[in-house]
Amino acid sequence: MAVNTENEVYLSLMASPDFTPLAMAFVEKAAFGLKLGQAEALSLTLATEEIFSYLCRVAMPDQPVEIRCSSGGYYVKADFIFSAEDFNMRAFNVTATVSFDDEASLEEMGLLIASRSVERFYVSEEKDNRMRLTLIKEKAYPEGISLDVPEVKPFMEFSIREPDPDELKLFVMLVKHYYQGQITPNAFKYPGKVVDMVDGGEYQGALAIGKGGEVGGGIIWRWSGLKTIECFGPYIFNQAYDSPMANDLLETCLGSIAKTHAVGLINLFPTHDLPGKYFEPLGTLKIFTSRDQSSSVTAYFRQMQEDPGTSVWSPPELEEFLQREYKRLFFPRQILPARDLGEMKSPFSVLSAEVDRSQDMVTLRPIRSGTDAYRNLSDHLSLFSRESIYNIFFEMDLGRPWESEFVPGLLKSGFKPKLVMPYAGKGDIVIFQLDREL
Amino acid sequence: MKTVSLQKLVPDYIKHFEAYIPSKPDDVLKELYGCSHLFRLNNNENPLGPPVAAQAVIGRFPPARASIYPSGDAYHLRCRLAEKFELHPDQILVGNGANEVITFVIKAFCQEGDNIITADKTFAVYEWVAEFSGFEARLVPLKDLMFDDEAMLSQIDEKTKILFVCNPNNPTGTYWNEEKLRHFLDVIDGRQIVVVDEAYFEFVEEDDFPDGIRLIKEYPNLVVFRTFSKMYALAGLRIGYLAGDLEVVDIIRRTCVVYSVNVLAQEAALASIDDHEHILRTREMVAKGKELITRELRHLGLPYVSGQGNYMMIKLPMSDTLAYRRLMAYGVMIRTMTGFRFPNYIRLTVSTREAMEAFVEALSRILT
Repeated sequence: MAVNTENEVYLSLMASPDFTPLAMAFVEKAAFGLKLGQAEALSLTLATEEIFSYLCRVAMPDQPVEIRCSSGGYYVKADFIFSAEDFNMRAFNVTATVSFDDEASLEEMGLLIASRSVERFYVSEEKDNRMRLTLIKEKAYPEGISLDVPEVKPFMEFSIREPDPDELKLFVMLVKHYYQGQITPNAFKYPGKVVDMVDGGEYQGALAIGKGGEVGGGIIWRWSGLKTIECFGPYIFNQAYDSPMANDLLETCLGSIAKTHAVGLINLFPTHDLPGKYFEPLGTLKIFTSRDQSSSVTAYFRQMQEDPGTSVWSPPELEEFLQREYKRLFFPRQILPARDLGEMKSPFSVLSAEVDRSQDMVTLRPIRSGTDAYRNLSDHLSLFSRESIYNIFFEMDLGRPWESEFVPGLLKSGFKPKLVMPYAGKGDIVIFQLDREL
Repeated sequence: MKTVSLQKLVPDYIKHFEAYIPSKPDDVLKELYGCSHLFRLNNNENPLGPPVAAQAVIGRFPPARASIYPSGDAYHLRCRLAEKFELHPDQILVGNGANEVITFVIKAFCQEGDNIITADKTFAVYEWVAEFSGFEARLVPLKDLMFDDEAMLSQIDEKTKILFVCNPNNPTGTYWNEEKLRHFLDVIDGRQIVVVDEAYFEFVEEDDFPDGIRLIKEYPNLVVFRTFSKMYALAGLRIGYLAGDLEVVDIIRRTCVVYSVNVLAQEAALASIDDHEHILRTREMVAKGKELITRELRHLGLPYVSGQGNYMMIKLPMSDTLAYRRLMAYGVMIRTMTGFRFPNYIRLTVSTREAMEAFVEALSRILT
């Protein structure tokens, strides 16, 4: 075991059942050390038991694995990192079972069981032929108290600055009060969590503060993927119709990210206060808040840089959608044909499932193509249905031609392409959503 | 396959720095955007081309000379510039564009833990070079679209080595007059190096605009940048220079990459220096272009910022990056200003009547 930084410890060991107690004890003690509560630490430890046992039995018996535990402020993350050589990639579909038996029960799905104990779980492919399994367990926070929110009066003057923790908590509670009935980020249920997210660097924010220290509005933003920033807001509390506050908050956000490597800014939860002249409507998603309740939200987007133009790979089934969207959005793209010409393929595909239980959401991303793409996808959908996960997305990177092989299966399964995010991956990313009719 | 231990090899300040991706060549852009012609109104180039004498030098350049190294330190050009500005030739350093001399100065004076100070909304290369060299760039907000002298002075600490002032400022076109610049230099009193970037010096006709090179005798901590890319239209050959006090330039020379300026650039620049007619013709074109554009912008009801230099900023009622794509489809290439922290603004190079009319027509179309 070693300490890497103040917020990270790691352990290297072999994937052997003899070491399962060691792996569990390490993660449990690390979780306590990184300030996770007792119940949450126990959940992370149980997830670790499932993951480690699964690695021992199925994926990579007696191979070296490194476990890294780190704090993200409002959560503790446990990463399992190992070489993908001599490794059964198929085992990393979340649907995989100990026996690879078609009729295997859910209890045999080690990865799924692990995912149930944590807020987020995903598999990712690292450089140097390494794989990473990530478990994220969040701290427990009380929901925002239903306080008598101080009435916010229209400001004659205000300044925009980074908030202190108390201002931030008040801001989140004001959002809840003034934006009742609108979809807001799940984290906004817990003002204390938002404070920790800002403190840990995951969120950034700016508030409009009046002369007497009152909070008149605000905006929050965070990285979403490697090249895109997502913003929430601006939220404006009872200000005059012609107040410049929303513009000023958005320009503060844009100024803050202008010289980063972000290629785009997206807003998936727009309110009527979003200054539309800064954005382009990218497409519409349906967000399910329960099995039988959903809202349509239009995703707004702006590029942060001049578009130099690029080429993308597309299967024939997707070309019409891409041509229509690229024309509508004036994106200069050369569409290259991605075609199956009978070459040999692996029999087994692999999908990474990023499960976000807090939002009943899963995002599938291809890791390997294979001739079983449709069946693999169907297995995933059956599983998510049983798990009552309603929001199911699939991200396809148009910079990787082999990912096109999933498209026929996606369309057959009821997915529809919803929007294109320019340069969000190696190339543009198409977001498919499983279209569920209520 | 062998791998490289990049995680260990790469400094943190490089890991977090993103490479600047220049735009693709015109032929590729035209194909991608489906336009048959392209008006380049994004880089503040001079559409009149180089001065006549420089064009002659370029036209008669003997191909065989391409095999011979150029003067390693642009000897003849430095001598001629020194004669013009009444300096010693060793007070001048010539670089592969002004961008290269920015690097020379930062390398010469900064070490670990040091910082430089400049504005948040100005030419970005001072900030970039500092950051990818591992030094902090302290960015001071503009005040009324102008470099804020008092705020810059308040940011100075014992680790501050250089203050960069872009005069006139790119992209706002605002400038410090001589009185303001002198006051700034008086307060600093030689404790830091002050770089005044005069890339657009030759475009300015205002009486109170300071000639930085004339101030070097009084302020030995002053370093002035000029370029042949803008007024003299030699951008494609990459040549710029700095001037400063003899002792200061002697220090900067130690970080200077010799032989970085090619022979054609040196000779074309040398031939350009005395062509005052070229300057007058360019200024006239810019004045007419600004008149045309401002009239049309008033007609369209669009706010704009027009100061010194051969450029102006226009605020659009739409995303500037969307406007870029749409204007490109009409064969007009402008510079988006989001990266300069002016979201929804574009910067337009003031050019020939034909180009300005094409811009106005394309702009009108994308706004309707």
